Amino acid sequence: MKAQKFTLSCLAIIISLLFGALILWLMGKDPIAAYMNLLQGSGLMEKAKYAGRQSMFTDFMSFIDAMTPMIFASLSVALALKGGFFNIGVSGQMMAAGITAHILAGFIPSRILVVIAGFLAGALIGALIGWLKYRFNVSEVVSSIMLNSILMYLITFYINTFYINPVSRQSKSIVDAARLTISGFRWEKLKVDIALAFPLAIITALILQWVLNRTTYGYEVKAVGLSPRAAYYAGMNVNRTSLLTMTFSGALAGLAGVSYFCGYLAAIQPGTTPSMGFDAIAVSLLGGNNPIGCVLASFLITVISKGTVYMSSRQHIEPEIASLITAFILTFASCSAVLDRRKKK
Amino acid sequence: MLDMIIIDGLSFALPLFIMAIGGIYSEKSGITNLALEGFQGFGAFTGAIAVVWLSGIFGPSSQVPYYAGFVCAVIGGGIFALLHALLCIRFKADQVISGVVMNILAMALTSFLTKSINASLFGNTANKFMLGASTRITIPGLSEIPVIGAVFRDIYPFEIIIVVVALVMWYVLYRTVYGMRLRACGDNPHSADAAGINVYAVRTVAVFISGCLSGIAGLAFAYSVSANFSPDIYLGYGYLSIAALIFGNWSILPSLGACLIFGFARSGGAAIINQLGLPSGYNDLVRILPYVLTLLLLVFFSKHNHSPRALGQIYDKGQR
Repeated sequence: MKAQKFTLSCLAIIISLLFGALILWLMGKDPIAAYMNLLQGSGLMEKAKYAGRQSMFTDFMSFIDAMTPMIFASLSVALALKGGFFNIGVSGQMMAAGITAHILAGFIPSRILVVIAGFLAGALIGALIGWLKYRFNVSEVVSSIMLNSILMYLITFYINTFYINPVSRQSKSIVDAARLTISGFRWEKLKVDIALAFPLAIITALILQWVLNRTTYGYEVKAVGLSPRAAYYAGMNVNRTSLLTMTFSGALAGLAGVSYFCGYLAAIQPGTTPSMGFDAIAVSLLGGNNPIGCVLASFLITVISKGTVYMSSRQHIEPEIASLITAFILTFASCSAVLDRRKKK
Repeated sequence: MLDMIIIDGLSFALPLFIMAIGGIYSEKSGITNLALEGFQGFGAFTGAIAVVWLSGIFGPSSQVPYYAGFVCAVIGGGIFALLHALLCIRFKADQVISGVVMNILAMALTSFLTKSINASLFGNTANKFMLGASTRITIPGLSEIPVIGAVFRDIYPFEIIIVVVALVMWYVLYRTVYGMRLRACGDNPHSADAAGINVYAVRTVAVFISGCLSGIAGLAFAYSVSANFSPDIYLGYGYLSIAALIFGNWSILPSLGACLIFGFARSGGAAIINQLGLPSGYNDLVRILPYVLTLLLLVFFSKHNHSPRALGQIYDKGQR
């Protein structure tokens, strides 16, 4: 069963990459060279030449930096899906966590505080969605879409009115002492970005794997996700489990938010929601909703998104091709869930 | 000022309404449709290409590109919607996930194609198609009535198209055999099947129609909001129209009410902020209104809301 899921995910990836190669070939580019550029841009292969203070190692470290929020975001989606929720509100939860941490860090610049603030802010929004679901039977999909827009406009208003950096037209930057990424750290002759949240992301994935497979709570989450009624008749507290699941899912999205807005980036862009919240759905589906799978899938998707900058400059292709390939992977992954179901019958 | 509220409110509410009708068609047939956002974007994209290409042939003053653009938007939106139908019906994918996937795919595909087409056909590097401003019509006589006269003043031609199409769609859904079958498929596909209805075909057509109608809305938004097509068209209006149709309890007339409330809340709020002399940043606060309203109403009325009974369920002939 698990091996089968793995095969299906690989199949989705291979088909999508072939699709992408076809497009590149139709545009008159060399697909193999383009895909090698992706790896080079992510610091997984040696580039032909490097600018001063840069090397394959610095590229790899900034790749890790970009991958960290993606791991958290996909874990958030995966946990919710396990518990029978479709958390499409990751973007909104990320923004809420990001702005809360930004404001708090203005008073007390501390990294631990940023992480805690992000965790709590995300958890609060997640809990609200879960509460609306069980108390008023409001579909979590609709309420999280509404909350995405509400939070986006609210935060845009706040940034534009009180917290704008007039030069960059973004929010002000978080102070370095509270930022979760040490940017431009001097090491030997290199300038390295160090993602402090990355170990936390890996540990979180491992803990989540352990919780889902080895604890009573994890068992209840999966039981409620598969059939709330059966779980209810088995004597489980369905409402409490659902609420907890959404709370933790929101908290993970919050961690994604702080590692994105207070780590990978230092500021918040008003007027848009981060597309990472939606890409995370792709990553989670690709990873088979399994925490370890999510880490592997995040790795792949980040190779595509991070490596594109280098690829598009080398091959003169629009950088939008990255999101296109990600979208293909997503499309095939959503079909592969079906093949899986069919084989089970 | 009241005139402005009515004129702007209507030009926002009507595209929202036609998209909501599309959503109603799809959801009444039993297919959850979160993909409206993607459909309208893709429809706007195909329509915008047609407009740009045809204005090169007919010249900027001709009205042909405008109407041909809407025809192409309908076709483009419909064809893209067939992909959603393919995933949901043929491949039996989860409808919610498929809807979200469609939105992401539409966004990626249109922004990639817009840049590529601009680069290869028109030789520039812009990420948008300029449409030019739409003409506006004032109906003589009717527009001189005090207050409500504003309804007939400065209207976009697409508003008339939308009203006509909406009337036809209302008739088809509630007064024809196809409409009745469509509603049956959404409530009880198994008995519909037993009555000799091809559930898959009915649902596919319903999703196709929802794509067509969203295409109209997409190009209308492209004309009225920004006068160009760019990836900025994905502002979440598709989700807003889903809110409107849930709010309207999956029927066409109440959904019109919801759309009008959203439209007037938006234009009214903007007018008030303008009047009070507040900075334009406060507009963002007003834009929250429809979403908060929807959330609150859902909280109070969720128990009275009746979604189609088989909504979101994958129909499998062999299942019992």
